[in-house]
Formats: sequence, structure tokens, C-alpha cells
Amino acid sequence: MNTIAIVLVVGLILFTIALSIFSRRFTRTTADFYLAGRKVGSFSNASAISGDYLSAASFLGVAGAVYASGLDGVWYAAGFAGGFMVVVLFIASALRRFGEYTVADFAFGRFGSNRIRLITVLAVLLTSLFYMAPQMFGAGTTWSVLVGKGIFGMDPYTSGVVVVTAIMAFYVGVGGMKGTTLNQIFQFWWLMFAMIMIVVFAFGNGFNYPQALADASKTPIVNTKSMTVADLTKPDAKTGKTPYDAAATIMTPAEMAKVDEVIAAGDTKAKVAVALPSKNKLHELRDQLFNEPGHRYNSFDQFSMVLALVLGTAGLPHILNRYYTNPSGAAARRSTFWVLVFIGTFYILAPIAGLAGIGFIKDYLANGGTIAAANVHGLLVKPDQIMPTLAEILGGQWLMGIVAAGAFAAMFSTIGGLLIAAASAIGHDVFEKYIDPNASERKRVIVGKSAVLFFALLAMGIGLAIPKFGLDQAYPALIAMMVTWAFAVGGSAFVPMLLTGIWWKGTTERGATAGIFVGLFGAIGIILMNILQTLGVIGKDGIIGFLGSLTFPVLFTFPLSLLTIIIVSKLDGELPKNVDQIWMRIHGTANERHEKQHGLDKVGTMFAKK
Amino acid sequence: MGDATESTVSGVQVQHGDHIDTIESVDFVFRAQRKLSFTYGAIFFAVTLGIPASSVWWKGWYATPIWGGFTANYLFVSLLYYIFLWAMAWTYSKQADKLDLTLEVMAEEIAAKAGKEG
Repeated sequence: MNTIAIVLVVGLILFTIALSIFSRRFTRTTADFYLAGRKVGSFSNASAISGDYLSAASFLGVAGAVYASGLDGVWYAAGFAGGFMVVVLFIASALRRFGEYTVADFAFGRFGSNRIRLITVLAVLLTSLFYMAPQMFGAGTTWSVLVGKGIFGMDPYTSGVVVVTAIMAFYVGVGGMKGTTLNQIFQFWWLMFAMIMIVVFAFGNGFNYPQALADASKTPIVNTKSMTVADLTKPDAKTGKTPYDAAATIMTPAEMAKVDEVIAAGDTKAKVAVALPSKNKLHELRDQLFNEPGHRYNSFDQFSMVLALVLGTAGLPHILNRYYTNPSGAAARRSTFWVLVFIGTFYILAPIAGLAGIGFIKDYLANGGTIAAANVHGLLVKPDQIMPTLAEILGGQWLMGIVAAGAFAAMFSTIGGLLIAAASAIGHDVFEKYIDPNASERKRVIVGKSAVLFFALLAMGIGLAIPKFGLDQAYPALIAMMVTWAFAVGGSAFVPMLLTGIWWKGTTERGATAGIFVGLFGAIGIILMNILQTLGVIGKDGIIGFLGSLTFPVLFTFPLSLLTIIIVSKLDGELPKNVDQIWMRIHGTANERHEKQHGLDKVGTMFAKK
Repeated sequence: MGDATESTVSGVQVQHGDHIDTIESVDFVFRAQRKLSFTYGAIFFAVTLGIPASSVWWKGWYATPIWGGFTANYLFVSLLYYIFLWAMAWTYSKQADKLDLTLEVMAEEIAAKAGKEG
């Protein structure tokens, strides 16, 4: 790693800590700690939500997906952005109007039982853990790629996980939601700046979008893969051909000579990178071109992927919690509009970076340049390394430093939001409601901070365990896959309950509870089956084999949860006694008008002294 | 939530300070809001699912370059889809704000009527 990148990353960390210490002076109550005093304006909140949402999977993964898969990678980015339309149309303003602190509060207030509050808390914690896992894995792998060295005797991966956990636990615990909000605003604009700089440098170096797309689409996409010699020389049962034979149809004689050297050394476990032909999963008779769909998704997955992301976004608790920080329902809608502008701009730029990487890296290597990332046939073996590699080629150490800091900013902002969501579930929903309802404000805030520490340590344990279970070897794009799992769990557990709770007065407590239960455990069950199938523990036959093969379980579990709510509610028919008052709380505006009249809806006082 | 000391709840209405919502006025605006949200939702899902449908079945959409290497599919997914989302979110927010205003006017009329009746 270069010195400038180290300086910029350390600078980012120090600035982050300074912001948290600054915010500490203004975090005295639980409303301050969990909701930044409900005084976050639309623009600031939109920046913070965007920072919350754009994780390492978006910053490094989307450009990598486009680099490797062309149009299917672009479609993946569009799915992420589309999710916020569901939020703005169906959820944002109602959730804010209802008030309270958390999604579990909404469930309790809407349906009036401790049972639904507790199962919602469980769902929040499990969804947050599912989303935290890829962030921790990203922290370890990003540290390995960008820093490359371990500290205190730990290997680079472990060092990344431990350092990021320590920083996050400190800055979220000290700064609370105010500190996290300030940090997320800064971190979002930093990663946006990094993405803009990459694209500006690309155009400055002669990149022509339509022409580059035409050039990349002249010949079929080439896949890159790192394989053991044993796998490379193993014949396919049906065709009798080996991956080595396939690589020989793509790679040059000089490139194949290097592969032959590794094979000749005799170590069957030795790894070697090869280029392989691609298949079109959508139109099997067509070549897989860069500007056509089909590299990642077959016809079923073209639909299910986008629905998983669109429905899953509205079920991410760290995103939903942010809506409570708006001063009004209308402000919540405005925030979401700005989120769409910010992340839409980001997702327009990321595919440009991915496409630009193809030509620039190939030309750079062809002209004798060398890069740190493993490559073969002019292509990166790990597409997730496209952003730092392209930055170094286009803008040298400075631009690489900006991108390295951007990658850490993306991780910090998302982990911060997840820690606050988990802390509010433990500290607010469990401690304040059930363990010590009469606790002082000071004690409540201390419990919130302890919950941050506890959850951070739990996430660290998961991050460290992932390589030990071999998941990083089983899934080639593990970060993207784990993010999709989190979307599936949140989308199946919360979104049907929120949609029916907000839009159907006839939803009953038993119906909503059953829906959450079915959605939550249905999604987790299918994900576990997918993992077990991928690790070879269970087969591909029968109903279990079919369920285990579902890449995006939300397409199955979302309607199942929705149907469960509707059927059980119809059979039950027992509405809350005060359902009209609840209805007016969700859809009425008297409270907002009252706050407006007395100036309680004003923003910009998030850091006022009390 | 608002200032609890100024808020009272009765059988069919909610009052926060001088401001009142009745179940009838909220239900009226809810139905209008539901129509608005679900109309926009139908358009959003039709377009969002229309893209993969076209990718599967419409060759002219996914395989014919229209500008450099851009196919209609690539151009829409990489740029136009976001403009569509921005336009949808903006117009929806404005119309939802108008509905809120309707409820406000309706509530003020109710409050004024209640005042006259003493």
C-alpha cells in the first residue's frame, strides 16, 4: 500500500473519531442517542441514508460486477436504487408520522402486543447481523488488498476486521445517532467524491462512453478464475473436456506457457489464474456480449434479483430507523427523493467506472505496465479490485488513496447505521420496555452504548468465522451474495407487516406476528439450505434441493409472508380496540400541524446546546 | 410524537393542541393517498418488471445497438431508469404534500364549525 493512501485512510479515521467526540456533547437523552433529537433536515438525512445504504458492496462491488458481467452488473445497480421507490410510495411518511424510535415500536403501537414487539426485535437483530457479516468480510478483504499487512501478529484479514470493529464501536458508542449521522454525511460525500474523481479522470484520459461500450461488446465476455491445478485438469463428466482445454481457446500461447509451468511443478493444490469462455444464461444460443443481458442471471433471476433488491430495501432496519429522525412525514418523503437523486447519480457513475476499467487496464498491461492485483489475459482475476486498480492507473497514488479512503468510508457508514439499529433494538426495545422501564436517561444511554459494544463484538466474531467455514471459497462473489441475503431476510420479515399495517386496517396482531415469523424463518431457512447445498452437505434433488437452489429467496418468502398475514388476519378478525386512533396516528396530520404551529418541526438544531 | 400535555384523544377524533383529525377526514384522505400511492406503485412495478421482460423476449430491445455500443436495454438501465425514478419520486411527493394540505383545510373547517357550536 502506498504512503498517500495510508495517510488518507488514517486521516479519515481520525476525522471520524473527532466528529464523534464533538457530537458527544450533544447526546444526553435516548432521543439524541437513537434519533439525533429528530432534528435532521431532508438534505442531511438523505446524505446520511445514502451513506448508510452505500456499503463496500456498492462502492467496490457494483463497478466490479459491471466490469465482470456487463449489462447484468448494471441491472444489479438499478435494483439497489429502485428499492427506495417502495420506501417513498408506501412507507416513509407513515412510519415517521407514527413517531416512536424503532420498527419494533411501530409493530407494538400498531398491533398492541409484547409478542409482536419481541419477534420484531429478533428480526431486527438477525437482519442486522446478516447485513453486518458482508461488511465485516469486506473490512477484512479490503484491508488485505489495500494495506496488505497484519498488525499485532494478526494476519491482514483479521487485522481489518478487528481494526474496523474497534473504530466503529468507539465512534458509534461515543457519538450516538448524532455522531453517526454527521459521520455518514461526511462519509457519503467522500465516497461520492471518489467515484466522481474516477469518472472524471477516465473522461480526462480519453474515455468515450458509447465507443468504449461498442469496443467492449465486439467479442464475447471472458471470465477469469483462480483454480487449483487439480480442478483445472479435471475432465467434465459429460464432455470429457477440461477447463484447461477451454482456457486454451481464449488465452495466448505465451499465457498458456505460464499455466503449463505451474502444472509441470506437480503440486495439484497450487492455484493458477486462467481466462475462460462465458455462457449466455438468458439466450443460450447467443454469444455473451458485454452490452447484452445473461452473464449472471437466467430469465427467472432477471426478475427475482430486481424484486429481491426492490422489496428488500424497505426491510432494512438501519434504513427504516433513519426515517424517525425526520421532523415530519413530508420531510421523510423529501429525504427519500434526495436519496434517489444521490444514489441514482452514484449508480450511474459506478457502471462507467466498471466499463472504463476494461479498456484502461488492458491497454496499461499491454504497454508493459504492472499492477498489484492478480490478472490474466489483460483482466483482473478479482473484479472487486477494479476501483483501486483503475484509480492507480488513472491518477497515481493520490487517486488510489482517495478511493482507498472511499472504500473504508463506505464500510464505516453502513456499519455505523447497523450498530445503531441493533443497539436501539437491545437498549430501547428490550431494556427500556421490559428490564428497567424506570431507568434514568443516563442509565438508558449507557445501556445503548453497551449494546453497541456487544453487537460490534458479535459482528466481529462472525466476520472472523466466515473464512473458517470456507464460505469465501464456496461463493465467488460472497459480499454481493451476503448483502442479497440480508435484503431477503429484512424484506420477508418486515415489508409485508409494514405494508399491511399501514395500508390495511383489517390486519390483526396474530396475522402480523405469523407473517413476520413465516417471512423471517422462511428466508433464513432457505438461505441456510443454499449454504449447505453450496458446501455440498445437502443434494440438489427434491423440495429441499429446489429450495436450496433459490438464489433470491425473497421472491418466495415475501408473498408467503404477505399471504400468511392476510389469511390469519381474516380468520382471526380481532382488531385492536383503538384501531381508529391508531389509524389516525398513521395517516392523520394533526400532530404535525401542531408541531408546525409551535415551531417544533424546525431542523438545523441537531447540535443546539440544552 | 407531539406535546402530550396538549394532546387529547376522543372516540372518533384526535386533537393535538388546536389541531384536530377526525376519523372521517383521515379516512377520506387515506383513500386518496392509497389511490395515489398504488397508482404510482403500479407504474413503478410495470416499468421495473417490464425491463427484464423485454430483456427476455424483445430482441430489438436487448440486441440492437442504437448509439455506439448502447442498446435500448443498456441505455435505459444505465441512465434513463434513474431519471424515471427521480421524476416519479418528485411528482409523487408533490401530490402527497397536496393531499396533506387537503386534510389540513378539512380539519380547520371542522375545528371552526366546532368553535361556532361552542
